[in-house]
Amino acid sequence: MLTLFVITWIVYGLTRNMPGTPLTVTLGETDPSRKLNPADIERMKKAYGLDKPWYEAYCIWLGNVVQGDLGRSISRKQPVATLIGERIGPTLALSGAALLLTWTLAIPLGLYASARSGSPDERAVGLLLFVLYSFPTFVAALFLQIIFAVWLRGTAWELPLFGMSGDGVGTGWWHRVADIARHAILPITVQTYGGLAWYSRFIHSTMEEVVRQDYIRTARAKGAGEYRVLFHHAFRNTLIPLVTLLGLSLPGLLSGSVIVEQIFTWPGMGRLFFESIRERDYPTIMGLTLLFSVLTLAGQLLADLLYCMVDPRVSVDS
Amino acid sequence: MSSRTSGGFSANPHLPASHTPMSTSGGFWVEAWHRFRRKPLAMIGFLFVITLVGIAMFAPAIAGTKPVICRYKGRLYVPCLAYFDRRLEPAIFSTDKFRGTYPANLTQKDPASWAIWPLVFQDPYRAVRDNEWPGRPANPARDEGQPNWSRGGWNLLGTDQYGVDVLAKMVHGTTIALMVGFVSMGLAGTIGLIVGAASGYFGGWIDLVASRITEVVMCIPTLVLILALVAFVEKPTIWKTMAIIGMTSWTGIARLARGEFLRLRSSEFVIAAQAAGVGPLRIMLRHILPNALAPVLVPITFGIASAILIESSLSFLGFGSPPPNASWGALLNDARSNLSMWWLVAFPGTAIFLTVLSYNLVGEGLQEATDPRLRDARK
Repeated sequence: MLTLFVITWIVYGLTRNMPGTPLTVTLGETDPSRKLNPADIERMKKAYGLDKPWYEAYCIWLGNVVQGDLGRSISRKQPVATLIGERIGPTLALSGAALLLTWTLAIPLGLYASARSGSPDERAVGLLLFVLYSFPTFVAALFLQIIFAVWLRGTAWELPLFGMSGDGVGTGWWHRVADIARHAILPITVQTYGGLAWYSRFIHSTMEEVVRQDYIRTARAKGAGEYRVLFHHAFRNTLIPLVTLLGLSLPGLLSGSVIVEQIFTWPGMGRLFFESIRERDYPTIMGLTLLFSVLTLAGQLLADLLYCMVDPRVSVDS
Repeated sequence: MSSRTSGGFSANPHLPASHTPMSTSGGFWVEAWHRFRRKPLAMIGFLFVITLVGIAMFAPAIAGTKPVICRYKGRLYVPCLAYFDRRLEPAIFSTDKFRGTYPANLTQKDPASWAIWPLVFQDPYRAVRDNEWPGRPANPARDEGQPNWSRGGWNLLGTDQYGVDVLAKMVHGTTIALMVGFVSMGLAGTIGLIVGAASGYFGGWIDLVASRITEVVMCIPTLVLILALVAFVEKPTIWKTMAIIGMTSWTGIARLARGEFLRLRSSEFVIAAQAAGVGPLRIMLRHILPNALAPVLVPITFGIASAILIESSLSFLGFGSPPPNASWGALLNDARSNLSMWWLVAFPGTAIFLTVLSYNLVGEGLQEATDPRLRDARK
């Protein structure tokens, strides 16, 4: 709770002291003739509470948040909660799919690597994963865009470059879902591969550590099969660090895709955050920061709880 | 005491060299280096980084339009240094109205002059004009500037939409990529070590406050914090970007340093030093830090890789320093609106990728070379 308070306080102070205000940035840049006269600015400042010093405005904002009111976006003329509600679906679809894909692929890959540890094919796969892990997401996104949207243009393999849905598709819901899926292939791929490499390497290294334990030797000595040792004895013990990792990856569900969403102009939360910083839209920035920070803390809490679930030696009470 | 004895050994002329008790262990770092050297991948990464340092140091001599060394009106000049800092450009060339164009002006204004030119006559900040180099056409602009490997092709890696040579831009961008890594991680390492050392060594309320601060910074998503800070900065320059990256990525180092200092605080050599009346600052610097450095160095190496990634993605998103920005990420940003110009993506993208990869390889090698647990495991 205290952490949350400090975080929002810091970010509020930062955003309010950024050069430019929401009023000057949005209107003045697009059209000089539409620049507001000073009296109008004063009036609007009063309306949005910008005339107060930031610490005072922070207290008001905090009071509203406690009552469940995130405020209204200045540049979009909508409640922040509505805005976030609109954007949360696409983001969850994108990062949820990416996270699911990552885990379902990473666990078999990590186990495969441990089963064949030291063999040439395992080394090759390991090196490939290491290379993938170092491959910057935005570079990969650009490469994929060039391949699928420029070079393969006009073929059956062409994939859309931007956005979440195109126009000119059929009216049925099935067509719409298919369209969104086609738009989502590239962003999901880009968001998956790095995590995939990281997690499978992580699983492999924790497995390596577990395999050296005495109880694995015992299991082998009593004649348990290689796969039984691997799954039943070793893998279950790697779950503890894995669960911690799962909890820590929770906030990434919403904030981790800022870059990917920006490249593919995916209408999600990361992009919203990006735009609101550009527009100096204080209420939206604060709402999103609050959400991200709450999720980070919730992820840590969840990790602790799951920890107790998979490790009977740890209990919630202690 | 011990140092005096061993010094006496090597200085003793009566003892033949073969009889001196040779120490087989050359200390922790020498040992670590020997183990590191045996890892081919880590060594490749290390050599790549060294190569990059070389490219960055000699960038104006590799690609540029200013002579490396030239003799003009009886004196020697090094105009290529102007690429490092504009003030290093010899004043005589501006008073003689060279306007940045050297080849024709040199021969015109002083027929007796000579010059040693960079390997590639291309400028990272502007397009080379027609006949600027005798007999050479102007750089192609827009999407005609694809890489030209045939004879007479002057742009090995192509040109961007304004006709600026990609190779020159990349060579000069190496400096930024390297500096981002070292400066921001130097800052992060310093902050992290100070915070971690203080909280680990002193404990008590200092530890409480420092840990809380670390926790708060950790809880704000890095990119969110960085974007907010970048927007906060009035006129973004590459130095401010580095400072911001450094100020946001010290938490992991601080945690590790805290653990190490906490562990070593109660070790015998520290207690001995305390008993001898050594002050806390000296204990931390002279006695604990050398022992805690190896575990901290590993996250710093990985941190360099991620700092380069962060800087290039910020430049890529248009949040970096304003043009002229020679950063590799800025090159990629140009490519975003011109996807058909694949060479704007392929070369800088590969450069970023290889740099990040080598730092990660070095970090991994360092980890295996210095971590005793991993060392014993890999038999």
